[in-house]
Amino acid sequence: LPTPPARLPYVPHVPPMALLGKITATTFVLERPRCVFDGHADASDAVWLAVAFANASANFRNPRSRADVPLYKQLPTARAYMTLETAAAAYSCSARSPPVLRVGGDTACRDQGRQDPCNGPLPSPGPYRVKFLLMGCRGPKAETRWSEPILLRRAISPGTIDSAPTRRGSDVVVIASILASLGAVLATAVLGALG
Amino acid sequence: MAKSDDCVHILQGLLVFGNVVIGMCGIALTAECIYFVSNPHGLYPLLKATENNDIYAAAWIGIFVGLALFALSILGIIGVIKASRTLLLVYIVLMLITFAFEMASCITAATHRDSLTPSLFLKQMLEKYKKSEPASNSDKEVTKTWDELMLQNHCCGVLGPSDWQEYTSAFRLTHSDADYPWPRKCCVLDAQGLPVNLDGCKLGVPGYYNSNGCYDAISGPVNTHAWGVAWFGFAILCWTFCVLLGTMFYWSRIEY
Repeated sequence: LPTPPARLPYVPHVPPMALLGKITATTFVLERPRCVFDGHADASDAVWLAVAFANASANFRNPRSRADVPLYKQLPTARAYMTLETAAAAYSCSARSPPVLRVGGDTACRDQGRQDPCNGPLPSPGPYRVKFLLMGCRGPKAETRWSEPILLRRAISPGTIDSAPTRRGSDVVVIASILASLGAVLATAVLGALG
Repeated sequence: MAKSDDCVHILQGLLVFGNVVIGMCGIALTAECIYFVSNPHGLYPLLKATENNDIYAAAWIGIFVGLALFALSILGIIGVIKASRTLLLVYIVLMLITFAFEMASCITAATHRDSLTPSLFLKQMLEKYKKSEPASNSDKEVTKTWDELMLQNHCCGVLGPSDWQEYTSAFRLTHSDADYPWPRKCCVLDAQGLPVNLDGCKLGVPGYYNSNGCYDAISGPVNTHAWGVAWFGFAILCWTFCVLLGTMFYWSRIEY
């Protein structure tokens, strides 16, 4: 019987730093976990990211081997998929790699329908929960906790924008009233001079 | 009667001076309006697409009013010096007509300045920028104008790049959100026109994208334009009012 994977206390989260593109309508960004898998990973192991709809995360079963990994295109039916397969060395303490991971950034694999794990854009605003899974050759070795639900942006139609001017400026009132009175005075003066 | 002669001469002098000022202001108004009509900031397509380019109509009226004021001021000077009732009558009538036109131009420019809100440009940008089947020439012009605006002013969107995230748009229909959270022109570009760091731009890392909106770059020149036409025209009209009253008084005192 394979040993159950070790539960690591790390909670994946969206990075706190100010990045305007942290969460868009189809992608989101996670802080790269550092030193989290160091005690558990061998050189040949891979770290995967499991993404599930927030209400389906409790039903997620860790795949027993690489062949059982749910793919990106199964997301609508399986309500979860795994992606971002990376060598465990990229998450070690000494690795020099970008501090964030972008989930959903690869539009090419979505269109070509390749079989490999695909980091394709997310089809709906979610909310989603994610966790990291360390997979060895004999199955999952360690997993982090599930993250808090991540809700993506929902864009609204520009038809809702009200483009009418908010208030009449005082400029117009001043100019119009003074000019109207000047015009009236001139008209009366002309009539008076001619009449 | 020397005293009344002196008064008449003083009045004539004042009217000639008033007309000289009107003539010079007329030339200045024409020059200012020609400058605005020549579209120095390239913003005319945006205003035209909002179907609200009355500010340009006001500027065109200003050109002709300015020339009319110059011509009429010469007529006025001749009429005052010759003390001719006919010339002055013609002068007064034509000046009143010019006054009415300039009044219309001022009020139009002032009114339409108020209608150029950020929401107006935002809606137009979202509906027309990079529209895939441009319905008319104005859609292509809007795209071209926005591209140049964002490139030259290092800005993005009307209020910021988040405009592209908060609202769906014609741009979003052809450019996926994952690849183009905002248009490429919002990224900091190098000398060849390519983004310095495309991933940094897509993530919104400060320094690799332009975070401020273009509304100031649009409203600044347009407001100056409208302000120039409206208030300068208003000042000229106030002065013209005084000169016209003086001329009418002088006209009524000339003996046949």
